[in-house]
Amino acid sequence: MCRPGTAAVAIGVIGVTIALALRGIAQTPIAGPTGTGGPLIGPRVRAWYRGLMEPFEEMLAGLGVSPDALTYAQLVVSMLAGGAFAAGCLFLAGWLTILAGTLDILDGGLARRAGVASPRGALVDSVADRWAEFGTFVGLGAFFRHDGTMLFVVALAAFASQMVSYVRARAEGLGVEMTVGRAQRPERYLLLGFGAWVSSVTGHLLCPLLGYQTHVVLASALIVLAVVATWTALERGRHAAAALRAGGTLP
Amino acid sequence: MSRPLGFLLLMLGLGLRLDSTWQLLASLLIVCGAVVSGLGLARGRAAFVPPGDTR
Repeated sequence: MCRPGTAAVAIGVIGVTIALALRGIAQTPIAGPTGTGGPLIGPRVRAWYRGLMEPFEEMLAGLGVSPDALTYAQLVVSMLAGGAFAAGCLFLAGWLTILAGTLDILDGGLARRAGVASPRGALVDSVADRWAEFGTFVGLGAFFRHDGTMLFVVALAAFASQMVSYVRARAEGLGVEMTVGRAQRPERYLLLGFGAWVSSVTGHLLCPLLGYQTHVVLASALIVLAVVATWTALERGRHAAAALRAGGTLP
Repeated sequence: MSRPLGFLLLMLGLGLRLDSTWQLLASLLIVCGAVVSGLGLARGRAAFVPPGDTR
């Protein structure tokens, strides 16, 4: 069903939110290096979002919530996002994807704040992240199940996203520090979440004109995600190979 | 805490309103979200500004 009025209200709410966020970002000092090759989301935006999350981390630490609980909550929310994608509830799916990304940031911050950061926690977090991504992409695959080309794009985006993390894990296992990478997890969450939001409202706004809901924005976001994730995986592989070549034999 | 809670309710409500048949629940969430967000924006510190050092 077409709901252009609700879509217009949603655009208004998101527009106000983005305007307020930009004001907050402008007031946040830059923290960290600003060279080339870094993530698409720059140090200022990352510092701003971490700053926003601090009161929540403090509150959760005060309540005695364990970081593992947030990790598992992120996994559940990602699976729900996948379910929402599969059911065609794109606006909800986009919001759940952003929420999952926020929980992913919160669990690490909470672990450090509570002084319980550990190799075991890092392992659980990494494994849960891979399952979470898998769950979301399965939902996207179900949504585009009648479109062979888009199904291929979803598969490529899913594979490349897993490869970005795999190359980093393998390289760090071989003693190479890996900080390069344009499309890291926050970038991928943001691209997918906003892509789904914008796609949903665009579909509802154009629906009375077209007679159907177009999902061209989500398809475009997925194509961009597949390309940048593939690029990032290749970039990391090249960086790791160069570092290992320069370093001689493996440890 | 009311601003993020209001935003959460608004997003859930708008999502349900756009893409589901649960219209009553959606309307309820939108109204609650709008009220809570409005109260949060009307008082207190600037929205989306971290509590730490600012420029």
